[in-house]
Amino acid sequence: MEETKCYMPETLAQALEIKSRVDAIVLAGGSDLMVSHKRTIGLTPVFDRPVMIIRNLPELRKIRVNEKGECCIGAACTSAEIAASTLVPWHVRQAANRMGAIGLRNSATIGGNIANASPKGDTLGPLYLLDARVKLQSLKSEREVLVSDFIVKFKTLDIKPDELITEVIVPYSERDFDYVFWHKVGTRKANAISKITVSMALKFNKDDTVKDFRLSATATGSKTNRSRDVENIIIGKKIDTALIEKVIQAFDEVISPRAMPEFRRESTRRMIRRFLSECARHPNNRVIETYDGYHMPGAIDPVF
Amino acid sequence: METKISFTLNGKKVSLSTDPLRRLLDVLREDFGCTGVKEGCSEGECGACSVMFNNKMVTPCLIPVGAANGQDIMTIEGVSKTELGQRIVQAFADGGAVQCGYCIPGMVIAAYNLLLENPNPSEEEIRLGISGNICRCTGYDLIVESIKLAAKRGR
Repeated sequence: MEETKCYMPETLAQALEIKSRVDAIVLAGGSDLMVSHKRTIGLTPVFDRPVMIIRNLPELRKIRVNEKGECCIGAACTSAEIAASTLVPWHVRQAANRMGAIGLRNSATIGGNIANASPKGDTLGPLYLLDARVKLQSLKSEREVLVSDFIVKFKTLDIKPDELITEVIVPYSERDFDYVFWHKVGTRKANAISKITVSMALKFNKDDTVKDFRLSATATGSKTNRSRDVENIIIGKKIDTALIEKVIQAFDEVISPRAMPEFRRESTRRMIRRFLSECARHPNNRVIETYDGYHMPGAIDPVF
Repeated sequence: METKISFTLNGKKVSLSTDPLRRLLDVLREDFGCTGVKEGCSEGECGACSVMFNNKMVTPCLIPVGAANGQDIMTIEGVSKTELGQRIVQAFADGGAVQCGYCIPGMVIAAYNLLLENPNPSEEEIRLGISGNICRCTGYDLIVESIKLAAKRGR
């Protein structure tokens, strides 16, 4: 069998130059591509197009804050690096810290999680919630697009053959919200593919009305779900039971889970009910829900 | 497409000419005789093939050898010669952590990865540290106890 051509650029400039002439499959951590293209024990995976390995490109491994105060995560940063960085917004760190297990988190990258465009992608819920953008670079151009627009549909991206995802830009930090919530339902603690993950955030005005509310859910349809219309139901109003039920009802119409639909719908309803009714009580602890007791020392700063 | 690939393996510079898309797992076993690197699930779930990549635990069944070019790789063969590695291996033997043994190289790597970052882990942190490594014999308890023993002996 003929071997696939493989490129191993050492700088971003080289990678963009290769991309300008070859529509290569971009391989970073390998945790999706090496599995989807594997054959059997001892055999080399087979790809139908040339492959370009970008795992170690130094330009794509940095986490920084830009001049607008937005968190910029290099596309080849691993889940472990993201979970351990205090520059990264809270929801994204939570998701990164619960992906796969330790060995996987040292390989899997945020760029790859987006490019895989799975409705179960762990970082996608937080990235949709926080209006994150991807930066796409080619030799000739550079553009930014919302992650939620970039993923057109299941496994389909708005990307040109010469473009490379170089950075993920997250504009909001936890400081922009009074209360946060993140919960992943998985069949076990490690190596679990998400059954549902719900991410939420809320900020009050001084008069107790809601200034901002965000809600996203993964694994509840062919794409990660978020709806500004649903969020607007509660924005500008005071939280009460009837309003909470209205939000729950509206979001239930947005999601379209296929497998175990009633389980996924009921779990989502309960999580929304719990978060909003807790927020209405104005508790001191700003973290309404996260997975505690399961993180590397120093990886997560639970109080912010 | 044969390409020259060089990396550091257990402290020594090595190079070979091969297809960069071959799995690092296969190269370590077949080209360098590191047969302590075990293949289990082939998809990053079981941890049997775990190695240290730039001093962080990874599963080389998911890594094409081209991604190891210029990087630092340590397998169980190298880890078990370090002071910490030796201490873990001895504690596994003394603590009765081993039954069939297939998962053990990966378990030792996981313990090494944990104790490097956190020399005095709690039981929960130990269970987290080996959460990506599957063992079908022991029920994990004696492995956890042996890692506690290795940590205690390091104090």
